[in-house]
Amino acid sequence: MKNKKRFASNVVATSVLALGTMAGAAFASDECGSVTIAEMNWASASLLANIDAIILEEGYGCDVDIISGDTTPTFTSMSEKGEPDLAPELWANGVREPLYAAIEDGRIVSALNGPITGLGEGWWVTKKFTEMHPEIDTVEKMLAHPELVPYVEDESKGAFMGCPAGWGCQLTNANLFRAFDMEEKGWVLVDPGSAAGLDGSIAKAVNRDEAWFGYYWSPTAIIGKYDLQMLPFEVEFAGAENWDGCIAQSVDNCADPQPTAWTESEVHSIVTSEFAAENAVTMGYLANRVFPGAEMNAMLVYMNDNQATGEDAAYEFLATKEDVWTKWVPADVAEKVKDAL
Amino acid sequence: MDWLIEFPSLGRRDLSTFRQTIDEGFLNFSRTFGESLEAFFSPLLKFLIWFENLLTNAPWPLVIGAIALLAWLGSRSWKITVGTIAAFVVIGYFGMWEDTMATLAMISVATFVCIAVGIPIGILMARSNIAQRIVTPILDVMQTIPSFVYLIPVVMLLGIGKVPGLLAVCIYALPPIVRLTNLGIRLVDQDVMEAAEAFGASAREKLFGVQIPLALPNIFAGVNQTIMMALSMVVIASMIGVKGLGTPVLRAISNQYLALGLMNGLAIVALAIIFDRVSQTYGKRLQAYRERGHG
Repeated sequence: MKNKKRFASNVVATSVLALGTMAGAAFASDECGSVTIAEMNWASASLLANIDAIILEEGYGCDVDIISGDTTPTFTSMSEKGEPDLAPELWANGVREPLYAAIEDGRIVSALNGPITGLGEGWWVTKKFTEMHPEIDTVEKMLAHPELVPYVEDESKGAFMGCPAGWGCQLTNANLFRAFDMEEKGWVLVDPGSAAGLDGSIAKAVNRDEAWFGYYWSPTAIIGKYDLQMLPFEVEFAGAENWDGCIAQSVDNCADPQPTAWTESEVHSIVTSEFAAENAVTMGYLANRVFPGAEMNAMLVYMNDNQATGEDAAYEFLATKEDVWTKWVPADVAEKVKDAL
Repeated sequence: MDWLIEFPSLGRRDLSTFRQTIDEGFLNFSRTFGESLEAFFSPLLKFLIWFENLLTNAPWPLVIGAIALLAWLGSRSWKITVGTIAAFVVIGYFGMWEDTMATLAMISVATFVCIAVGIPIGILMARSNIAQRIVTPILDVMQTIPSFVYLIPVVMLLGIGKVPGLLAVCIYALPPIVRLTNLGIRLVDQDVMEAAEAFGASAREKLFGVQIPLALPNIFAGVNQTIMMALSMVVIASMIGVKGLGTPVLRAISNQYLALGLMNGLAIVALAIIFDRVSQTYGKRLQAYRERGHG
């Protein structure tokens, strides 16, 4: 259904564009050629790729192709072969060094650093908890009150919900647990066992108005659905050496972890340099396209609840959240996109 | 001919409303009764914690001694007793003592709960055809439904940890003991039952004096299967935060630690074999009169 609609609107859009070109009103530099967009295999990236596709296609008249990808293969292909043109949500964590090298060599251009606000990993509490205890607004203040989140197997301790067994974040959380001396402060590091266990524990706590304190990451449907609030760290980020050389290592390789804020998650919308040089208009759009984290989480909830694909959700977003996306584009482009929907 | 190819399904919106209604119903149920359910299970939780602490905090030679004694009392076999001691020494030597004790505590309590619940249900099924017709499909569901389908609702109701883990284990491990108790009692020879009646045995005497003793081989096969299935659920249970041998297995799976996975997997197998041999030989000894009877 959606596909048919999109096809029909494409025909309209291209014919409008064709008319415009014939009338000689188009300027060569403003014209958008063909764009291939990498759609990563997780929900937020898929949504972002589809929104870019629709806006570029309908608003700017680009000829858009979406291809599926994953962080490493997509990045490698972009940097080595110049294909695809655009990766809307690339997490730097996994490809940090080659990414910086490619940007330095001029093979890749970061069109936007941080396409989604408020993203990353951290320690979260429930909304209800922040309302009941407004004075607890940092991790350090929370750590002084283990009695507020009693551990079910030992009521005298506080439960800190860590990361599932076997995930990379399990090491990070275990080391931070030691760095902040949480055991002495009366905390237990609880292993939820699996993503399902972690999500289930959040769902239960929110649904029953119980306190919950633990690890999660954004943008995710869970954060949006249960409206978790991230607690900032009082302590500053204590340097990459402490983080990469100790906190992110196994407990045996991290003898003396220092308290630190969470390492910042770096996410870029990257394009190939060739594309960047030839598509000033698109680059201008991309530089403006900053997705508010709360909106993203809300869209992820929508996708989750309705089992919507990235494409379904992109149409839903463009139809219902005009106030968000019309700020990214000039008024005439916004009109074109609206007409096409 | 479209209507022949495309199945006339409920519309997408209706389907979504339908699912949401059920979900909301469950959430409301959890909000209303969750706390009382947790309170109901809290003695069980306390017992589980106490038992695990007992096993992990006691001096290890004492624990091995107690297990060896139980193995000996159950089996009266030197081979099994020595094998049990050897298995636990190896497990401890490879650094899996604490996890093994946590799993042992969990499985022992789970088996006990399953037997305590399962045998009466089995007896009820054997005595009433209506009960059998009602319970059998429920057992089918318990055995075949993918565990995560009920794990998540259980977590929403009771949180993560020991009690939901125990419930998950029991949902899977309960059916064999119920089925085999039922089968064992139903297989008792009608002639024997008539003879018991002729001697004027009361219903109670018939059940405890004739039917259950004669059904013991089947009941013990059921106990045995229940223990095996409980152990096979250890890894699943650790996915909702039950400590024990399952946790390192999960860690090994997601990081391709082959040795770690194998060691902990084999520790689960060792526990299974010990439980199996001891319960089997104990079952056989209980029926020693059979061999004597036939000379």
